[in-house]
Amino acid sequence: MLLPEHTLLKPVSLDQCLIMLRDLTAGGGERLEKAQLIAGGTDVIFNMRLKFFQPEHLVSVRRVPELQRIEELDDGGLRIGAACRLVDLADDPRIQSRFPAFKQALDAVASAQVRNMGTLGGNVCLETRCWFTNNSEEWRQGRQGCFKTDCEHCHVIPSSTHCHAINNADTPPALMALDAMLTVQSARGSREVPIAEFYRPDGMDHMDLQPDELLTHITVPATRDRNLFMKYTPRKGMDFSLGAIAVRCGGQGERAENIRIVLGSISSAPIVLVEPARVIEADGLGDASIEQAIEQMRDELGEVTNLYGRATYKKQIAKTLVRRALVKIRERV
Amino acid sequence: MAKHIMSLTVNGDTREFAVDDRDTLLDVIRNQMALTGTKSGCNTGSCGICTINNAAGEAVLSCLTPALEWDGESVTTIEGLEADGQLDAIQQAFVEFGAVQCGFCTPGVIMSAKALLNKYPQPTEAQINEGMAGVLCRCTGHIKVKEAIRNDFRLRINKGAESGSGR
Repeated sequence: MLLPEHTLLKPVSLDQCLIMLRDLTAGGGERLEKAQLIAGGTDVIFNMRLKFFQPEHLVSVRRVPELQRIEELDDGGLRIGAACRLVDLADDPRIQSRFPAFKQALDAVASAQVRNMGTLGGNVCLETRCWFTNNSEEWRQGRQGCFKTDCEHCHVIPSSTHCHAINNADTPPALMALDAMLTVQSARGSREVPIAEFYRPDGMDHMDLQPDELLTHITVPATRDRNLFMKYTPRKGMDFSLGAIAVRCGGQGERAENIRIVLGSISSAPIVLVEPARVIEADGLGDASIEQAIEQMRDELGEVTNLYGRATYKKQIAKTLVRRALVKIRERV
Repeated sequence: MAKHIMSLTVNGDTREFAVDDRDTLLDVIRNQMALTGTKSGCNTGSCGICTINNAAGEAVLSCLTPALEWDGESVTTIEGLEADGQLDAIQQAFVEFGAVQCGFCTPGVIMSAKALLNKYPQPTEAQINEGMAGVLCRCTGHIKVKEAIRNDFRLRINKGAESGSGR
């Protein structure tokens, strides 16, 4: 099973990498067609094996030193290079002590092997998936194609006009709860995007990232708020989650200020729950208030798909995760 | 496609290879070095059978690694664990506890266990479960594998006492 034909390029500085991306994508064309970035390879090579990514060039960021560093900010926040490995971040005592939700999300990613290879930038930019796309080209040929394979059809919601593949990445919900900021650079310049605005609810085009752009840094601002991450999977290791949740909450005990509740693996983008957060901020983290918040979340899940479980089951998982996470966070000091 | 020359150290043996951009580390190890201990399973990173150790002794998946990315680096495969005709303690433990059925996954399981023990010489139950979650045995189960890992420490102590090497 050979990979699709491509040329591997190995820039050794950020400038060289950005110029390469600019030159390779200058002629326009679809995302991923001309140049695909690769770091750990756990998502990119997987998608190339399944023939979803068939880029002419792979641009490796393994030798770009600017992307491998963790900078300590004055207030205790961290500015993390996108090519830092997941295992190195999970083992970093600063992340363990300051950002429990982030640490829990890092530990939750796939397996030790994948965390030893995969990077934070790769997890933030993880390709979306569904049960149809998660199969070999030969298997898929037995059925009608889908949006991801140049066909106007979705197997998950057949009447849909767009792709419903799910964003299964573990770190984005945690980083969203922690108000992380992304730095995106290209030869044209640099811009900062709050991670909450980075994702779009479209499985085909789920990131605010142009073909010549590179996610270079993830900045996690200091916080004194309680925070946690949980995910629900059939097996404890390896599996992509059926639902994931990250919560950050100021105040102590049942008193909740500035609460942020983010659900992952339900849609093509993580979902920030607005009304439930308002209920909790107004009425606190008591049992009755939590149940009322759960009642309020129904309209905010959007179109829940039958992916990896019936939609009704997934809604139930989402509710249960919100309940468990809110109960757990009120016990945190 | 054009070939490129790269160098790779496998089990201490440094060689140069002519590889294609499409070749993975697994292709080089199996097809060019003829070290067929490392197996090709799912090829998509789900089964962990192709696990090898990097220079830091961490478990990585050779099937998802473009070979050219590892130009100049050093890896250990299952063939590199034994020294002077002596099995490594973890291999010995797998033999003693019969932690093998058909044997296809065994190289990947042992290399994952080796990496786990490099990081945690006396792993807790949770660390064993977590560290071994990335490899799948489809014949039997993981109970005997876990027994072998739990007893690796004991074998290492005995081996150290016998040879005086204190490894």
